[in-house]
Amino acid sequence: MEKVDCIIVGGGLAGLSAAYGLASEGLEVMVVERGDYSGAKNVTGGRLYLSPIRDIYPELWESAPFERPVTRELVTLMGDGASTTLELASDCFATAPYQSYTVLRARLDQWLADQVMEKGGMVITKNRVDEILVEGSKVIGIRAGADDIGADVTIIAEGVLGLLSSKVGLREEPLARDHALGYKEILELPSSVIQDRWHLNEGEGAAHLFMGEVTKGMMGGGFLYTNKDSISLGIVVGMSAMRERKEKIESHTLLDAFKELPQIRPLVEGGTLVEYSAHAIPEGGIAKVPKLFGDGYLMVGDAAGLALNALLTVRGMDFAIASGFYAARAVADAKSRGDCSAAGLAQYEQSLRSSFVLKDLETAKDIPHIMENPRLFTHYPQAVSGLLEKLYTIGPHPSQKLSSTVIGGVRKDFMNARTLKELYAMRKI
Amino acid sequence: MDIVVSVKTNLDLQMIRIKNREPVLEAIPYKTGDLDKNAVEAALQLRDAVGDSKVIALTVAESNRKVRETIKEVLAMGADEAVLIVDPALESTDQAGVARTLAAALQKIGSYDLVLFGEGSSDDYSGQVGPRVAELLGVPQIGYARKITAGGAGVLVERSMDEFIETLEAPLPAVLTVVSEINEPRIPSLMNIMKAGKKPTEEWSLADLGLDPAAVASSCETLSNLAEEQDRKHVMLEGGAVDQAAGLVNALLKEGILGR
Ligand SMILES: Cc1cc2nc3c(=O)[nH]c(=O)nc-3n(C[C@H](O)[C@H](O)[C@H](O)COP(=O)(O)OP(=O)(O)OC[C@H]3O[C@@H](n4cnc5c(N)ncnc54)[C@H](O)[C@@H]3O)c2cc1C
Repeated sequence: MEKVDCIIVGGGLAGLSAAYGLASEGLEVMVVERGDYSGAKNVTGGRLYLSPIRDIYPELWESAPFERPVTRELVTLMGDGASTTLELASDCFATAPYQSYTVLRARLDQWLADQVMEKGGMVITKNRVDEILVEGSKVIGIRAGADDIGADVTIIAEGVLGLLSSKVGLREEPLARDHALGYKEILELPSSVIQDRWHLNEGEGAAHLFMGEVTKGMMGGGFLYTNKDSISLGIVVGMSAMRERKEKIESHTLLDAFKELPQIRPLVEGGTLVEYSAHAIPEGGIAKVPKLFGDGYLMVGDAAGLALNALLTVRGMDFAIASGFYAARAVADAKSRGDCSAAGLAQYEQSLRSSFVLKDLETAKDIPHIMENPRLFTHYPQAVSGLLEKLYTIGPHPSQKLSSTVIGGVRKDFMNARTLKELYAMRKI
Repeated sequence: MDIVVSVKTNLDLQMIRIKNREPVLEAIPYKTGDLDKNAVEAALQLRDAVGDSKVIALTVAESNRKVRETIKEVLAMGADEAVLIVDPALESTDQAGVARTLAAALQKIGSYDLVLFGEGSSDDYSGQVGPRVAELLGVPQIGYARKITAGGAGVLVERSMDEFIETLEAPLPAVLTVVSEINEPRIPSLMNIMKAGKKPTEEWSLADLGLDPAAVASSCETLSNLAEEQDRKHVMLEGGAVDQAAGLVNALLKEGILGR
């Protein structure tokens, strides 16, 4: 069997980040990506939090093809017949260095693949890895078509579901309850229209999340991100919530319905559909992170369940890039010591533990459980909008005192035992 | 036998969208010409059949980035060496300019017995470059090769002429263009792709070939490049499937598409 220093299964952000680190260290690295090019089929909502990873590969970000820095944050709680939008305009978010940028994967991933190749790494596209080769407890390489190729270390960056790695027992079989499903459209709009519609200064961007009716009360939400001259519009819904719903609904119709909502229609008006995609998202939290390394292998990015959905923030790309970076460091060290066994690679998990990757996942460990509560997506958006609706209503009858409207509403919707219990549980978030 | 195979990198046409009737060319991945891969395959098969031969891949482009991956693909398929002619002046050349560049490169390479081309490129498909190079070099050319056999004083070539097959013989050196039916290009193995980067590759500019940028400047000017505009009829058929089907048949009858 012919051999290379390091094989990376999957050329998404996690795999490419690892490859970049390794190639920079002068190691021989082969990324195998099944897509026509890196980023071809990769899906993200659209926002990369750069703050956590700015110091990782600092030389890269200057030239990265980001779309717009996010300077306006909006969230809409959608009840049935009424919705409430909160908008945060923060000087801090509107000043460089920006904490987050909207991105398009087709551009970002291809660009990162180019950077890997500049460093002498090899990104081989249009080739699928069929199997991870295991001997005893040791990963020894891959099979791709008729080729068996050995490697001192195999980095598994195959993305969510981890079909190859679960087949050889490196992680659990994926379960529906630990995943959500996302649908997304990219709609082209002239940048001047985008700036007008979202009240943005030239070059600035908005992120808008939606909760409640948008998923028909199922766990999940809608998102809208502004790119340079397009918007990314999508919907995410928990797989179990879909399954358990009594009145069955075809999940992809949610996105069509979302676009037709009276609040959304004027925002997407005139947009030309240029990309449609659907993808799974890991939502199991830290409890579902598999063993991150072993003899001859490391797991990075979504393949290792390193993603975090905390309702208002959805993160996976920054975790993917950071885990790739730490994986590369661990492999380079292991190679220089000539020990690519589990013991030799153990540094990888330690560095993830002392970085934001596992720390943030640990902090958020109760979120998956709390998000399982459907009332978060039904009762609360409805209650908030219901109360505000009352406050704004002037009817034919004499009005109640403002205070009693508020107190009555709060008492009815928030001060009951169940809600208090739930709110108390949320302190863990 | 020294075989030079000329390879063109073009945009992946399937990825191009039309917006306001114009093609959107930004961020489109590059791709090796489809028929060029047939030419490479033919060169590799000839090399292996003849023995003691080598295959040199030759390409012309305005930037190294554009051809880097496609040349690697050709080297991974099995070409032994590559020569890249890279010069920003080639950004706005045409078939005549490319042919002049290739001919100059071949003269600099010096020893070549066969020069292979695809019969046309995947994008412009003008089919001019091979024949032009043969003219410039003053060597025999045979187009539309569907079978090439080395032997005797040169090569024996079957030409695919749609209705019939013509068999010709030519002395070496000669220029051939191939059609897709000549072979099924091989798909390189992963290890061969890994090794491709280490094969000898030369990069020359126009100046290295003694060519002036003016010599490759295009003599054609593109006035417009617009997709055809089609008027849609915007007919909506109402009712259930049965009514819609009847409506569709009626509409097609009215247009004279059915029942002619
Ligand atoms: C709808 C949606 C919205 C999201 N929103 C955000 C957001 O706003 N911000 C954020 O940070 N994150 C977001 N995420 C999460 C984020 O996109 C992922 O965490 C991130 O893409 C993970 O990167 P990765 O490299 O691990 O996986 P991927 O990008 O999925 O890459 C895996 C790669 O492996 C390749 N591959 C798989 N199997 C094989 C095989 N057998 N052989 C060869 N190649 C293979 C695939 O083709 C793919 O290119 C979102 C995800 C979705 C689906």
